[in-house]
Amino acid sequence: MAEGFDIDHLAKLARLSLTAEEKALYSSQLNQILGHFQALADADLPATIDDARVVNEAALRSDEPGPVLGAEAVTRIAPASRDGQISVPRVVDDES
Amino acid sequence: MADALHTLSAAELGRRLAAGTLTSRALCEALIARYQAVNDKVGAFTHLDQADVLAQADASDARRKAGQGRGPLEGIPVAIKDNIAVKGQPLTCSSKMLASLVSPYDSHVAERLRAAGAILYGRLNMDEFAMGSSTENSAIRKTFNPWDLARIPGGSSGGSAAALAAGLVPLSLGSDTGGSIRQPASHCGVVGLKPTYGLISRFGLVAFASSLDQIGPMARSIEDCELLLNALASADARDMTCFSPSDRALTPAGDAKKLRIGIPKGFLGKGVAPEVAAAVNAAVEFYRAQGCAISEVELPSADLAVPTYYVVATAEASSNLGRYDGVRYGHRSASAGTPVEMMTASRSEGFGPEVKRRILLGTFVLSAGYADAYYVRALRARAKIRAEYLAALAGVDVLLTPTVTTPAFKVGEKASDPLQLYLEDIFTIPANLAGLPAISVPCGKSGHLPVGFHLVGAPLSEAKLLAAGRLFEAAHGFAHQQAAL
Repeated sequence: MAEGFDIDHLAKLARLSLTAEEKALYSSQLNQILGHFQALADADLPATIDDARVVNEAALRSDEPGPVLGAEAVTRIAPASRDGQISVPRVVDDES
Repeated sequence: MADALHTLSAAELGRRLAAGTLTSRALCEALIARYQAVNDKVGAFTHLDQADVLAQADASDARRKAGQGRGPLEGIPVAIKDNIAVKGQPLTCSSKMLASLVSPYDSHVAERLRAAGAILYGRLNMDEFAMGSSTENSAIRKTFNPWDLARIPGGSSGGSAAALAAGLVPLSLGSDTGGSIRQPASHCGVVGLKPTYGLISRFGLVAFASSLDQIGPMARSIEDCELLLNALASADARDMTCFSPSDRALTPAGDAKKLRIGIPKGFLGKGVAPEVAAAVNAAVEFYRAQGCAISEVELPSADLAVPTYYVVATAEASSNLGRYDGVRYGHRSASAGTPVEMMTASRSEGFGPEVKRRILLGTFVLSAGYADAYYVRALRARAKIRAEYLAALAGVDVLLTPTVTTPAFKVGEKASDPLQLYLEDIFTIPANLAGLPAISVPCGKSGHLPVGFHLVGAPLSEAKLLAAGRLFEAAHGFAHQQAAL
């Protein structure tokens, strides 16, 4: 089942930067874990899936405004903020 | 009397508070003294704001004096796992990623505890983002088993269990995604309940695997566990999986001596240590002697539970933890270049090894070309496991197994072998996959180390689980046990 496992591609998808040692370690461990998952490939399984919710009901709330944290509380926990807004590295180049 | 307050149950403390022979301030001062004496040895707490605790205690005493007491938890401290939001307190998930985060809001359970008059008492250590079975994955500190400080307390709610066993607090909250309340409860000799999926709101619980996560009560006795459960369980529209008021009535407990108890075939042979098997078999014989009907039941897909869980849980974790990008809150790398470089560096610096491992695994099982072979097959296996459990529970009231295969292992013993750690949860995982309530009840010792048995029931059968636990507890000496420190 683990055919095609590519640690560089996975790290890129997961937005993780791994050292060479980490790549070797995680590759080895993930291959071992995926080997244990072989039981899933071999099992006779039903065609249906299940989200294990005990009571299945449409639990959508009405679309009404409710209490919110507010800009002050939100920017207080942000890594960087300016003028009541969260600041991030430049997203769009000047020439774009 | 003050030096013995840490040994008393929440129910007894509540009676003394109600009788006016004890104040919440005196209780909290005694527990703070206990914290100062033993927390460095055990490492259960990561944070305790003593001034805030005493201010809450004074407010509680004032309410009681004014005749405005809020019920049986008024003035009683409840310690909280560090992945459950309490306004103004740290919310680190024992991760570098959230090391400096102070919660700007209360979780639903924190609101419920405040409404009940409880003292929100400190933050408890855990495996980072609740990923682990030993609390060794905390980025903040190690927690040790109070019964043997060279051993792990279990996890991921290791701080919650160790705090109880060390007499640091009478009640605690944990969270349970694959056994994270029940496994440490077993290892530390306390009671831990994972409720039916949907009984307690997860609003304010930091998400790990949303189709599995539940908050639950932990205590040194069944009575205390029930007291805390009753305070926590209520409807909440902010968690769409939380039962509405009309759907949440618990099945009546009935007569515990007439319970039909199912023993899953082969479970006591699955690498279970002989002393654990002996303690659990003795519990089975106790119930038989009380008049309970004991029968063997078949759960043929039980061996699929661990692989199914680790596919579903890591898939959901890889999605849930995508929110930690260094933008809105949490760690942001100082080496920021482009936004993508900033996100990648922030995540790489902020997450520890087990969290990275699970994100990579979850990313793989959801990735193009592999999702059908892993994630979709795991969902189908989950359906099969759930159907088998519900079929078994149609013929019996509860299923009884060990909680864990062995007593607590030594710190570092399994640290380099993640698969062995994953197999710690072999008996507890199915209840999460099937959304069923389950409890670990102390039932003996292996040498000096506690052992628990595990009961699983049908949806909303918490009262039956508690009644079964109470029957056992009343005839044995394991309630209120604490380690000598």
